[in-house]
Amino acid sequence: MEFTPKTSDCAIEVDYCQRYCEKKRIGGDVFLSKKIKEQSRVLAVLSDGLGSGVKAGVLATLTSVMGLNYMGSFRDPAKAAKSIMETLPVCSKRNISYSTFSMVDIDFDNEVRIVEYDNPPVLITRNGSVMDTQKQEADVLRADKEPVQINVSGFDAKIGDRIIMFSDGVSQSGIGSKELPFGWGIERVGKFILDKIASKPEISAHDLSRAIVEKSWLNNSHKALDDITCGVIYFRNPRRLLIMTGPPYDRQKDKMLASLVEEFPGKKIICGGTTANIISRETGRKVHVRLDKLTADLPPESIMDGADLVTEGILTIGRAAKYLEDKTELDFFTDDPGAKIVKLMLDSDVINFVVGTRINEFHQDPNMPVDLEIRRNVIKKISKQLEEQYYKETTIQYI
Amino acid sequence: MSKKFKVSICSGTTCYVLGGAQMMILEDCLPADIKDEVEVVGSSCLQKCHEPNAKPPFVLINDYLMESASMTKVIDYIREHR
Repeated sequence: MEFTPKTSDCAIEVDYCQRYCEKKRIGGDVFLSKKIKEQSRVLAVLSDGLGSGVKAGVLATLTSVMGLNYMGSFRDPAKAAKSIMETLPVCSKRNISYSTFSMVDIDFDNEVRIVEYDNPPVLITRNGSVMDTQKQEADVLRADKEPVQINVSGFDAKIGDRIIMFSDGVSQSGIGSKELPFGWGIERVGKFILDKIASKPEISAHDLSRAIVEKSWLNNSHKALDDITCGVIYFRNPRRLLIMTGPPYDRQKDKMLASLVEEFPGKKIICGGTTANIISRETGRKVHVRLDKLTADLPPESIMDGADLVTEGILTIGRAAKYLEDKTELDFFTDDPGAKIVKLMLDSDVINFVVGTRINEFHQDPNMPVDLEIRRNVIKKISKQLEEQYYKETTIQYI
Repeated sequence: MSKKFKVSICSGTTCYVLGGAQMMILEDCLPADIKDEVEVVGSSCLQKCHEPNAKPPFVLINDYLMESASMTKVIDYIREHR
């Protein structure tokens, strides 16, 4: 079976941010997402286990993993929800289920189905306002045969829509404080999200989820009184990124390299001194090395008109690969050239690598104090990471 | 007014790992007596490591290409030729 890749017209960015309850090393909120490439489907589950800590963590993990797998195998998420409800244990003291969940299933036509049980409602934003999806209530039986209500809804997503899922750590943040005696509240959360989007219409799922979690944390006077989790799904025009690294094997192709950079519709990174020199020579644009902006252990970045980032080659790419592999959280202060590459990659949906295969013989000298890997192997590794861990679409072109 | 010496430090991979890294801060380390005469810039790659028997790191001082360059060698060279 073949499906046209979603990224050709609409890209789906999924990201989440989480802060665990104070002094807890394990959280009771779990956010999981999965892309089924063969079906062009994207699934996401947010589950909140009762309380916080280990027991809550186990139950939330159980629920979210079940959610993902059932949704993946059934077409109907309501069916998946039913199976989960029949399995979930019930707290004998409080007579409530041990975990709550919200599940989102997006198919290849961007048709969205949402099932919710007891979590704060999933917010959907379109054109600067919160969209009402007319939730239908359905009764399902709990493990103890008690009927409970789940909410089922659906809509057709358009470019620019966002689906925002959060745990009660967000909506109840600030509870008991002078400013928010009854907590932040769904409506105020909604308004905060709309304000954020209004001030930055293209805000990524990554940034929006972080903004919401940070604000909840702030509401509690810089504390997480409960686990705070927010997941965001953003339907957007695919953002394209070109990463050009290495001189072409055949010197006749230098011109082609320059025209590739010129004509590319999207952001551009040039990795490699020789590569930058070739492009500079062919386009007549000067490369300026930023000696005023040094990092301890990577060669400095450069500036050139027409490129969003110019860096050294293999050392910087190697660093980027390491960040991706370790899943390093790159904050505002980590801005060495390697981190900058990763940030640009994660902010894009389609990443095209153009890899020159000419080898600098000096790099292969065994007397070099550091081992320099072969460029195309590192790029292969990065591309695999981006596809599997970050759901990006990548292409590699060797010249 | 252009300065008397223009020093280009190669920041390509080979030069960087073979000692060029220590030279990136050259501008801040120039002694007071020559500071005003020297302009320090970076080069993304001087393309000299491709040549046979190359001895990186390279620094280009006006037209003179210095092999196996180091901070002291550059400063000595400038003092001699000023």
